[in-house]
Order: sequence, then structure tokens, then C-alpha cells
Amino acid sequence: MNRTIPSVVNLASLCALGAAALLFAPFTVAAQDAAAPPPDYVSRAEYDKLKADHEAMKKELDALKTAVQQMANGTAPAAPAEGPATAGKQSEGKQVVSAVPPQGATDELRQEVETLKTQVKETFPGTTKFLLAGYGTAGFTARSGEDPSFDASFNALFLYKLTERLFFEGEMELEFEDNNTTINLEVAQASYLLNDYMTIGVGRFLNPMNFFVERQHMNWVNKLPDKPLAVYDGLFPESDLGAQLRGVIPIGPTKLEYVGFVANAPDLITSFDDPTAVGMLSFPNTGNFGGHVAVGGHIGFIPIPQLEIGYGIQRSKVGPRDTAAENILQSVDFNYVRDSTLLKGLINFRAQWGWSHVGHLVYDPNGAQGFGPLDFNNNRNGGYVQLAYRPTHVDNDFIKNFEPVLRYDRLNQLHTPVGFDEQRWTLGLNYWVTPSAVVKVAYELDNKNAGARDQDAFMLQMAVGF
Amino acid sequence: MKKLVFRICKCIGLPLAAVISWAALTWLIGCAANKQSAEVAAGTTPSATEKSGAQLWAENCVRCHNIRSPSSYSPAQWEVAMMHMRIRANLTPEEHKKILAFLKAGS
Repeated sequence: MNRTIPSVVNLASLCALGAAALLFAPFTVAAQDAAAPPPDYVSRAEYDKLKADHEAMKKELDALKTAVQQMANGTAPAAPAEGPATAGKQSEGKQVVSAVPPQGATDELRQEVETLKTQVKETFPGTTKFLLAGYGTAGFTARSGEDPSFDASFNALFLYKLTERLFFEGEMELEFEDNNTTINLEVAQASYLLNDYMTIGVGRFLNPMNFFVERQHMNWVNKLPDKPLAVYDGLFPESDLGAQLRGVIPIGPTKLEYVGFVANAPDLITSFDDPTAVGMLSFPNTGNFGGHVAVGGHIGFIPIPQLEIGYGIQRSKVGPRDTAAENILQSVDFNYVRDSTLLKGLINFRAQWGWSHVGHLVYDPNGAQGFGPLDFNNNRNGGYVQLAYRPTHVDNDFIKNFEPVLRYDRLNQLHTPVGFDEQRWTLGLNYWVTPSAVVKVAYELDNKNAGARDQDAFMLQMAVGF
Repeated sequence: MKKLVFRICKCIGLPLAAVISWAALTWLIGCAANKQSAEVAAGTTPSATEKSGAQLWAENCVRCHNIRSPSSYSPAQWEVAMMHMRIRANLTPEEHKKILAFLKAGS
């Protein structure tokens, strides 16, 4: 008797323990006081019945353990041996076993879930290979000598990935100009990845030789409400119509970027409709008046991830075919962006300087337009230096979103029909609502020489990139 | 006030302004270059193949604009946006692949 009880305990079953307790208790009591049986005396028949129950439960537990073991091994559980006394309980055991689905059913379920996940994802916007991005601005400018006014613009960027190698990009600009809403096609370019390090693009693209235009002119990227003199809407075209070949060559931890392009050459203004415009270049030359082709390129070197130094050049003939002049545009750019723990923030330093040369040409040679003959070299230069700092490491969530900006920009064109040089100091303060939404406020001190009127300005702008 | 500012600027002149800018830059770059030089000397300067997607994302994107959260776009949208950036910002295939994987994982 005493040998069987410990084996029951080893089964770790509460039921079995209960049965064992029932068995053990009366037996112990009987041993203590055999002469006078207590009121809860257990008869031999009752004892045998309890013993039979205990044996049946033991068998059932063994069967369950075997079934669990078989399932763990990935085999179908065998039907447990049964007897009349345990039939009901075995049916409960079968329920436990059938609650675990077979391997085939699990795979099927998993497949179904994956299909559903894919279907749900396909309902998300932009899950095709098309992406609508862009930026919008709303602003206010009060410039001395001009009426203060509000303005707004919207640039929609259509990006379409046709294959792993073929890509199309289109940019449309909508803005107010002279009481009208104007639409300009800024970019319409198809690009093809020839290999890992070379991409060819055809169409209308942002001028690759001009770092500011290609990387910084977007209003949510540009740090101030207006754009620097010379490099934007000044010496260089904003976009070109032609073809470009570009890529990057990794050299250890450094990188060398390159772009080469051919495009319609700029047009040269030779008429006297605007006296200050004679000898200036006109962009973009979509009709390619003069029939000249410009060849150019840009090389950028990234010695450390924070620094990029570049040089760009574009060369072409400009003007009437029979009396064309030489035109050379050059630009150097310097960009340093560093997240400094020492200065507890992000330092953003950018500088770019450009030169425009239009060779010697005689304008209105026979005096038919009433101002000639006028001959000169049109040499202009200018650029900007800009420093911005954002205290991104400061604990205060409000302060870390502010970004003071200081910019100096200049355009030298005294010895041209324009007749004056211009320089500006602009101090701005930005507040970044999100990484691509900013509120900018700035004051610009303008200084022109040769008696031209200075035009200081107060500017406010909200720009959102999406 | 304005006249004074420009008189000072005129007195200082563009060359001196350039010198000051370069001095400031030298100091700023020095902070990075010292660390970089030490890494180069130790032969530990990591190339794109040794950097994580998150590191490349932080280094390359911020050179032009604020870095956007991976949750800004869906994985499919990032595929298009990153191909655009690969062309525009001249990313290497390695950088493109790793940054895209990082953005898709976090979107």
C-alpha cells in the first residue's frame, strides 16, 4: 500500500493527490485506534472502489502524457486506450488534443493572413509606384519702395518609378505673378540607371552645375524666405533642357559625385526693350534661339560625410548665330552640415559663388535700335554665405525647434547696363513645426551702390514640404 | 544704424569677412576632422558598406534637408522617394539599399 502512494504523488495531478489523500487518511486513523472504529470508518468495498478509480486516473494521465509527447514530436496522437469507466474523461482528453490544429491547417492560416496583409497594404495611398510629393508656401513681404503683399505658391512633384532602372520626375509650379496665376513646368525628366554608378537623364532638369538650385531652392529646404542673389534667378539658369549623365564613385570612405550635361544654350538679350537687360542672358531658352548647345558639368567631393565641396561649369555660344559671343558660367560651392555635441546642435554652413562671362559683342551695331553701337564684355559675379544653427541637443522641446539664420549675399554688376552692385545682410529666425514644415521670419538690409535705391525688407513665410 | 552696419562691413571688406568665415570653418571642421583623422590613422574610418542604414540615413539626408521620420511614408512610397533621392543626391547603390531598408522597416 505504502509503495503505491508515492508513485501517485509523482504524477503531479491534483485529482490523483485527492484520491491518495482519501485513501491514506482512513488507513492512518484506523492504525491509530483499531479498537474503536471512528464514525468515518471506510469499508473494504469503499476502499476497493477508490483504488479502482485511482488506477483508472493513473492510466488516463499516462495516455495524456503519451499524446502530448506525440504532438510535440509532430506525429498524430494515437487514440488512447479506453475502458468503460474512463470513457467520459477520455472524451475530454480528445477535446484538448483537437484544439491544436494540424500542421497543414497552420500553414494554410498563415498563408491566408499574409494574403490579407498584402491586400490591406494595397489599399494604402501611394502603394503603387507613383508618389505625389512637393511643397507649398504662404508668405508676406514688406519691401521698401514697393507695396507690401501676401503671396502663395505650390509646387507639385510627380514621381513615378516605372521599373527598377527607369524613373520619371515631373515638377509643376503654380504661383501668383502680376495678378495672374502662372503655371511653370520646372522639371520633366526621364532617368535610366545604366549601372550602379551611372544614370542618364533626358528632358528638363534642374541646372546640375548650380548646387543651390539643385539641392537647396525648395522653400522648405531653403533657410530664409527669399533666395540668395546671383545663384538663383541671377547668373545661372534654374533648369536646362537637354540630357545629363550623372553618378557617384565611392572612394573608400569618401565619395566623388559627377554630372555632365548638354542642353540648349541661354539666349542673349540684344534688343533695347529693357535698357538694363542688354547683354544679359535669358533663361530658359526652350526654343533654343540662336541654335547653340551648352556643355557643362559639376563635380562634388565629399571627404567626410559632413562636408561637400563642388565646382560647376557651363560653356556655350550665345546670341545671333553670325555674331555669337562666348559664354562661360562657373560656380564653386561649399556645404558643411554637422551635428555637434559640443555646440549642442546642428550647424549648417553653406557658401556658393558664381561667375558669368559673356564675351565681347557689339550691340545695335548700326544704330537701328537707337542705342548703338554699344560694345562690352558682360562680366558679373556674386553669391552667398549662410550660417544657421539649431539647438537640437537642448532638452527643451520648444527651444530646440528654433533656428537663427544669418546670410550675406551679393551681386556685382556695376560695369554692365544694370550699373550697380548690390549686397544684403539677412537675419532670420525659423521655427520648425515638423521636420518639413517651417515658419520663417526675416529682416533684410539691402545696400546698392552707384545711387541705386536700397530696398530693405521684412519677410514672413510658412513653408511645408510633403 | 543701417549705414553703420554697412560702413563696418565696407571697412571690414569681403576679404576679411571671408577670412573670418574660413577661421570659423576651420574650427568647425577641425572638430570633425580630428575625430576623422584619428579614425583614418587607426584604419577604422567606416565606408558605406560598414555603416548601418540608420547611420547613412542621418549622414546623407541631413546634408541637404532635415531628416524625415521613416513613418512619413509607407514602404511603397519610400521605394519611389528613395529612387528619386538616389538620382538627385547621387547616392551609391549600397547607401540606397541600406537607407531604403531602414526606412521601410520603420515605416
